[in-house]
Amino acid sequence: MELFIEVVVTGIMLGGVYALVALGWTLIYKCSGVLNLAMGELTLIGAYTCLQFYTWGIPFVLSIIFTLIIGLILGILTERIFLDRLIGEPVLTVIMVTVGLSFFFKGMVETFWGTDTRVFSPPVFSLEPYRLFGWLVIGRVYLWSFLAALILLVLFVAFFQFTKWGLSMQATADDEMAALSLGISARFVYAAAWSIAFMAAGVGGTLLGNINGINISVSHLGLLVLPAVVLGGLNSVPGAIVGGLIIGVLQNLSGAYLDQYFPGGVKEIAPFVFMVIILLFKPYGLWGWERIERV
Amino acid sequence: MHAYLPCGVYHQQYHEDHAWWQTKFVWGKMILLGVLLFVVFPWFGGYYLGIMNNIGYTIMGALGVQLLIGFCGQITLGHAAFIAVGAYTSALMLLHIPESQAFWAVFLTQSGLLYPVSIVAAGITGGLWSVLFGLPSAKVKGFYLIMTTMAAQFITVDFVITQYVAQIGGRGQAFSLPPGTIRIGPWEIDNDVKVYFLMITLVILMTMGVVNLMRSKTGRAWIAIRDNDIAAEAMGINIIQYKLKAFFVAGFIAGVAGAFWISNLSAVSPEHFTWFWSLWLVGVILIGGFGSIHGTIFGSLFMVLVMELLQVIVGILTPWFPSLSMNFLFLKESVFGLSICVFLIFEPNGLSYRWWQIKNYFNLWPFSY
Repeated sequence: MELFIEVVVTGIMLGGVYALVALGWTLIYKCSGVLNLAMGELTLIGAYTCLQFYTWGIPFVLSIIFTLIIGLILGILTERIFLDRLIGEPVLTVIMVTVGLSFFFKGMVETFWGTDTRVFSPPVFSLEPYRLFGWLVIGRVYLWSFLAALILLVLFVAFFQFTKWGLSMQATADDEMAALSLGISARFVYAAAWSIAFMAAGVGGTLLGNINGINISVSHLGLLVLPAVVLGGLNSVPGAIVGGLIIGVLQNLSGAYLDQYFPGGVKEIAPFVFMVIILLFKPYGLWGWERIERV
Repeated sequence: MHAYLPCGVYHQQYHEDHAWWQTKFVWGKMILLGVLLFVVFPWFGGYYLGIMNNIGYTIMGALGVQLLIGFCGQITLGHAAFIAVGAYTSALMLLHIPESQAFWAVFLTQSGLLYPVSIVAAGITGGLWSVLFGLPSAKVKGFYLIMTTMAAQFITVDFVITQYVAQIGGRGQAFSLPPGTIRIGPWEIDNDVKVYFLMITLVILMTMGVVNLMRSKTGRAWIAIRDNDIAAEAMGINIIQYKLKAFFVAGFIAGVAGAFWISNLSAVSPEHFTWFWSLWLVGVILIGGFGSIHGTIFGSLFMVLVMELLQVIVGILTPWFPSLSMNFLFLKESVFGLSICVFLIFEPNGLSYRWWQIKNYFNLWPFSY
């Protein structure tokens, strides 16, 4: 039982990071209808940028803020250079452009930083775990990652709900034509969505990098996001957050309990198996919009 | 997308209209192509034949992707998984059947029919595996189907094959095929020229098969499903059945491609069938052009040759920038990604569309209106 609770709690902590990245993904999809397969590479860029600042001796919190700023700039650039020209193109075209972007970014990151695993040195969080109630052991890094992810999630959702820019993004997501006719700039909204995605992914990558060290496999996070958003429903912000948390927990549980029956890498595959099952039985996820199609 | 007939050519009989090659000039071109492929190219050295085998493998892989995406509209991002299934089926048959003492096993081994039979078997298992992951296409489409096929990639290659199939026989993850196992009848496939002939035969068979399928009722049903699946269903096409057929045929071609590839490498390992390779195949048909057999071939030629050219350039520049050759793989990834983006933004119809325009220009000359 103690093992179970520990696994679930760690899963929730990890799921917080997934939720953050999933939020970025959903924002892009909601606002501009782009299904982004380059999310993993966005996390990679964020993680390495933050690491670079940190190794230059800049305090961790400040490096995260710098990473956010760089994410903002890169988001606007990416949207303007590549995605802006593709508005109204078929789904596959847009998806493959994001796939192309992902290879481009990945190649660039590998050229600049190589493929060796790097760690934050000195470690940002001490390795001494917290002990709650005397028996529940939680790694410090998990707890702080979870808190940081939570803070950013609250910030982004607040931005989305209460600021004028956020509201204009919501309006575009709801009905693009109506929003345009009310004087909202669609180009601004797309750029904002990409910037937020870059920022969220960057921080998510940094937090994950603190847990496992940074190498190319951090970009696997970008793929793990897909089960999360499918579970939540593609265009639902709360769905992305809940989906991220659930996928985190499921992944940890299958790692702890299924590994003895199917040795070797069940943990990495489990989210995708869940995804196929969800798609078979509830393809629109928990809160996604069900589209009715006519000829 | 057929090109227009040349000026002054017209048909009077249906069979003329249905002919593969409709004018004497096209017959001449095809004979020339045959001479080029079967007589001239084999004289080239090993390096060039290696590139051509690579191109042939890419064509076979991309043909299945083209059938699914370009003709049937079912987007797949996990095609390497089906190639891997074919490759492992064939490799396991080649390694295990000669050990058996049963009458049929001895007969297959002795007569040298084992490898051809294993190619067919690889195609069938690849097709069935593909149908298994195509089943969700009955219910979902578009992005959701992409997710399913992506899951197929990770479940098949990273889990089932790496953890279980590759452990059969306890050889470790990578199987190597001892010399002499890959034989067709009396010929042992042991050098580039023989692999080349095998490749060219398979590519021609597969391409002609797909082209013929596209001229049949099945092909027209696939195109109807691609253009509008709801309308197709209303027209009385059983779309689930035809979608699964498309998955089977695509998986079959992938399986054959996999079985061919082991003859080139004399080895098989899960690392050859990564997600990168799946995306690469989709990139090939995007650059070549959707819904066009020419496009598949042009795309394969373009991608393989550009990458070879890149390697040559890197080789030339290495004395000045020593880090380049180390970073070649990363550079390759970047160039691949960027070329997909550039093609999709500036040439969304692909290379085959240009080819079509050029051909029409000459066919209609001098009365192009």
